[in-house]
This record gives sequence, C-alpha cells and structure tokens, in this order.
Amino acid sequence: MDKLKLCHLYPDLLNLYGDRGNIISMQKRLEWRGISLELTEISVGNDFIADSYDIVFIGGGQDFEQEILLTDLSEEKKKNIRYAVKSGVVFLAICGGYQLLGTHYKNWNDIQYDFTGAIDIHTIGHKKRMIGDFTFKCSDSALAGLTVAGFENHSGKTYLGGAVKPLGEIIKGSGNNGEDQTAGARYKNVFCSYSHGPLLPKNPVLCDYILKTALIRKYGDYNLSVLNDSAEIAAGNYIIKKLK
Amino acid sequence: MKISIIIANIVTRISTFLLRIIGSGGTSLPGKAGMVFKRNLLQLLSNNIKVVLITGTNGKTTTSRIIAEIMKKAGFTYFENKSGANLISGITASFSLNSTLTGNPKYDYAVIECDEAAFKTVCPMIKPHTIVVTNLFRDQLDRFGEITHTLNNIFIGIKASSDSVVVLNADDSLSFSLAETISNKIILFGLDSPPHGSDSDFLSDAPYCIRCKAPYTYEYRTYAHLGKFFCSNCGYHRHQPAISAGNTTLLQNSSKIDLVIHSQVYSCLLALPGAYNIYNALSAVAAADSFLIKHEVIVAALSSFNSGFGRMEILDLDGTAAHMILVKNPAGLNQVINFLSTDSTRKLLVLILNDNYADGTDISWIWDANFEKIKSFSDTLDKIIVSGIRAEELKIRLKYAEFDENEIILEKNYKKLINFIVSDTADSIPVYILPTYTAMFDFRKALSKKYKIRKFWK
Repeated sequence: MDKLKLCHLYPDLLNLYGDRGNIISMQKRLEWRGISLELTEISVGNDFIADSYDIVFIGGGQDFEQEILLTDLSEEKKKNIRYAVKSGVVFLAICGGYQLLGTHYKNWNDIQYDFTGAIDIHTIGHKKRMIGDFTFKCSDSALAGLTVAGFENHSGKTYLGGAVKPLGEIIKGSGNNGEDQTAGARYKNVFCSYSHGPLLPKNPVLCDYILKTALIRKYGDYNLSVLNDSAEIAAGNYIIKKLK
Repeated sequence: MKISIIIANIVTRISTFLLRIIGSGGTSLPGKAGMVFKRNLLQLLSNNIKVVLITGTNGKTTTSRIIAEIMKKAGFTYFENKSGANLISGITASFSLNSTLTGNPKYDYAVIECDEAAFKTVCPMIKPHTIVVTNLFRDQLDRFGEITHTLNNIFIGIKASSDSVVVLNADDSLSFSLAETISNKIILFGLDSPPHGSDSDFLSDAPYCIRCKAPYTYEYRTYAHLGKFFCSNCGYHRHQPAISAGNTTLLQNSSKIDLVIHSQVYSCLLALPGAYNIYNALSAVAAADSFLIKHEVIVAALSSFNSGFGRMEILDLDGTAAHMILVKNPAGLNQVINFLSTDSTRKLLVLILNDNYADGTDISWIWDANFEKIKSFSDTLDKIIVSGIRAEELKIRLKYAEFDENEIILEKNYKKLINFIVSDTADSIPVYILPTYTAMFDFRKALSKKYKIRKFWK
C-alpha cells in the first residue's frame, strides 16, 4: 500500500477555525484511493527533521499563539524548515503558517519578528482586517484556471519576492494584500493561502493536485483515480456564485 | 429631561408593536429607535433596578433562564430579555418595555444576557448588581476577533462597575484570569471532579498559560479546556470555588450532582443533560447566592427548571417531538454530539447552518467539531438531513466523516423540510434539530406558520 507521511507543524498553536479540515480532506481522499496517510504532530519542544515527511501542513493562529511559537522557533528548526522547502517537500501553509514561511513580519507598531525565511515573502501588519468569502483563479498551468473559493480573515498584508509566484489571481476579495490582486504563494512544492478555515474540502481539484505533487515526488509518475466530487464542487460553487 | 424619556419609551413601544403586527420577531430596532430620542436611555431605565448581567461565549441563555427560575421560586419580581436580544439596542428595548412611560421600573430585578462584544458598553450603563461570565471559547473570529480581545472587552466593562459582584468560572483558565485584574467581590463556580458517564472531547482553545505562555498541566479535565489547571512555570492555577459540583453523573436527560454552596452539600437532580449545563446551573447558583437567596429555594428551582429558548426545548409537531438545540461553535456542538451519543433511541437528525452576521460569516468551525463521533452512533439515526444557507458545506463535512453522501438529505426549503420531518416521523420517532442562531429564528418562523408554538418575542 502506498503511503504518504504528513507532518502537522504546531497543531496545538496554529489551529484556527477549521484548519483540521485540510488534513481530513487530504487523508480521506488518499484513503478512498487505497493510499494511507501517516500523521505526525510536531509542536513546541519537538525537533523537526526535514526529510522525514512528504507533506508539511501549517495552519493559522492568533497573535497570542504566534508569540509562543516564536520562542520555540530555534535557528535549528528554521534551518530544517528551509532545507525541507529547498529539497522539494510539499508544504501547505495557511494564514499564520503562510507568514511563518516568509522572512519576517512587521506589526503596525513597526516591531519586526524574524520568521523562517524559507520563501521570499514578508508581511506587514495593519489595523484593518480583511475578512470574508473570497475567490481566486489558480495560476499553475496544470490547474488550467481553476476557480478556488475560501474565507479569509487576516490583518497582515503579504508581499511576494521575485522568485515566488502567486497561487492565483483574485476574482473577489482581498487576497495577499488587497492591492496587487495576488492570492497566496507558490514556490517549488510550497502552496500558501490566506484561505483559513479549510481550503481543501470544497476545492477537491486543488487538494488532488497537492497530493499528486507529493506522490510524484515519492513514487515517480502517479495516477490518481477519479472520485465523485459533486458534493464538494457544489459547496465551492455556492461561494463562487454568491460572489459573482 | 423626563419628557425625552417618555418620547423615547413611546417610540420604542410603537416600533415594537408595529414589528409584531407585521409578524417580525425583530427585537433590536425598537431599542435603536428609542435611543435616537434619549441616548443614555438604558442608563436611566436601569437606575433603580437590581440587574444580573450574563455574558460569556456559551450558556448565556440557559444560565439566564435558570437564574430567572430561581428568582421566581424566591418570589422576586423580575423581567428578562427573553428573545436573545442581547445587544445594546435589544437590551434597551427590554428595559423600555418593562418600565412605566415615565421611566420607572415595573420590577425589582432584571435578568439580562449580553453579547460579549456589547458588554463593554452595556455594563457601564447598567452597573449591574451581579455580573456572570459563563466561560470563554473561541467563537466567531470574524466578529469578535481574538479571544484575548474578547477578554479585554469584558475587563473594560467590569472595571467600569466596581461595585458589582462578579461570578467567574474557576475551571476556565481564560475567563478566570479576570479575577486577578479586578477589585470586585468575586464568587467562583466549578466542578470538583470530572463528571461520570461522559467521554468528553478535549479540543482545547487554551493549552498554553494566558499569563506566561507555558503549557498547562491538569489534575483533571471536564471538557474542552475546562478543568483543574495549573501552570508549573508561573504558578497560575484554578482556585477552589465556593459554588461547586462533586460526584456528578450525567444521565439521559438530566444530571445528578452534589451541589456545594459555601461548604453545604445538597444532593440535587438537575433537569438538564450534559456537562455544559452543570456549569450553567452552577453559574446561576452563584448569581442567586449573590442575592442571598435561600439554598433550599435554589435546589428546588434546579430540579424544576425547564429549558430556555432554543437551547434545548421540545416542540410538539402533531405528535412528533422536535428537540431544538442551538449550536454555534465547536465546543458547544461537541457537547451536543456527546449528549446525543448517549441516547440510543432511533431519531431523525437535522443540522441547519447559516452564515449571516449573527451566526458568524465564517462557517469553517464545523471542521473542528467532532462529526466523526456522529458517525459512531449513526445506527441510531433514522435519517440525517442538512439545511440552511450553507447546507452544502454540512454535507461535505458529513461525507468526510465517512457518511455515505447518498444517504445525506439536503433540503434548503424549510416548508418541505418540515413536511418531511412530520411525515417521516409518523411512527413517532423524535427529531433533533441543531440550528445556528439565525437558522433557529427562521426555522421557528416557518414552524409557527403551521404549528402553534411559542412566539419568539414572548
């Protein structure tokens, strides 16, 4: 039986509304195809060993939890996260987790927090939050203009560096910063989004694309059998239609 | 001065009357209208009345109802803001409707539940005799923001009312932290041991110390992050509550507890199921204690209590017993799921999810709730139906909890849904309806067109 190993990074700190839904979605869609998912939770005080995992998931958190996390994020842990990204491990990072992969976060009091620097993005805090349902069109050619529906709730404005591509282009909503129409980030096998609350359950094509990226990396060319996704697509379509 | 109160009161009443004629249960507009004519209307109207103000994430309504029941048994005259109208406008309207035209109170006491975000404005105006903070859980981040923000709002409200007695949950590390920052008289409540008969979920909203950010250790936990917590780093810990429950057993539709009121023990049957309702009862007992109500009266009221609006009420639909239980966040829903899992009778389960402002526009919390546990007792479910604005999301949540998607019935039309419930349960299978806030109002409205049920503004 084929198997993927997933690391849930800081599950007790970065677990804002519904982040678990992304893991449930990946796990079930693998299981339904006879592929197993081994889940490891790495939090405060645990070592993160870069090449132990096929997929790393990082969710979003509140400021209070982010501060706890920063004290745990040693140079060693940062280095290992950078190495995992460089070596092509698949990452799905949401909200706070997305920001964490960047170089730094500067809050609205101008205090800078240094993050992992695994990808060239940074975030500037603002007082006004960007909240609500939103939609974007995926940029990866393999996804051929797929429309993704989600819910965003963030005060940080994230800006992408030169080597980092957006995950998609905003149709309705704010996205990375409410300025440049970019939504999320793509770099190597890293997928980032501000769609906190589960991104994957109602966007099954994106979920399969992420899973396939991990399976191909591990097993070479890989064929994922087709599932009936009508219920998932109906849930996503409700948002897409509402925002039209 | 007096004349503007009279005008404001008249405006509030006329608009309430008009809304009732057109059949709307709207409870906030009249207060808004009244406030236009007298900005500090609430302050003036609450001046000569002893108020207990109830806030917190979960259990506000049930707690209010239990307090009212105890007051009734104690012979107090009181009014409540009954319809869940718990923002400043709705609360103002409640005071207006329960005062004379010139602004004098008709009752000695008022039992008022208050939204957590509105609390910092409402509390300084009312200056209540007693403030109850039931608990704090993550809830509607789109509306309330971070949990520490909610905590701070409550702190601001209490600080502006230093004579109030404050009732706090000793088992909740989040809201109990208020005890250290306020100078008010405090009455604590909590569970002295974990309840028997529960297999609780411990999905924690607060694994790390609110003071120093080190992880908590627990001597025992009751559910979610509640329990006998201790921080070995800074020493922050649960204090022994004056009002507590020991030796608790959760039964089908009730709970047996040894109720402790200032070291006096009373064996007590609480006519409500679920660990969360023991907390609600204890907070109500603590509030009653702040009014020096006799212990015997409190104990008698607890066993005769009939549940509050929508939180756990049973409606009769032509012989079909419809149990309606409001759900609005993972901690609350998990408690309801735990309760349902202990009930082996065959039933119909209806979940209704809306994403209006009052529900929280972000419905992703359903992915944190333990739907997998619903699957574990699916053999007791005759059918499972999803409805509401976001029924499709509920359907996939159930699908990913391994329900067969072809067996999940999706029906957004309430009229059809009601017909289905009633026709399908001709053999008198009970139905459990779990709506979010606005879904509960809408669904009740649809029900009231066909059945005689209590109007929601009563």
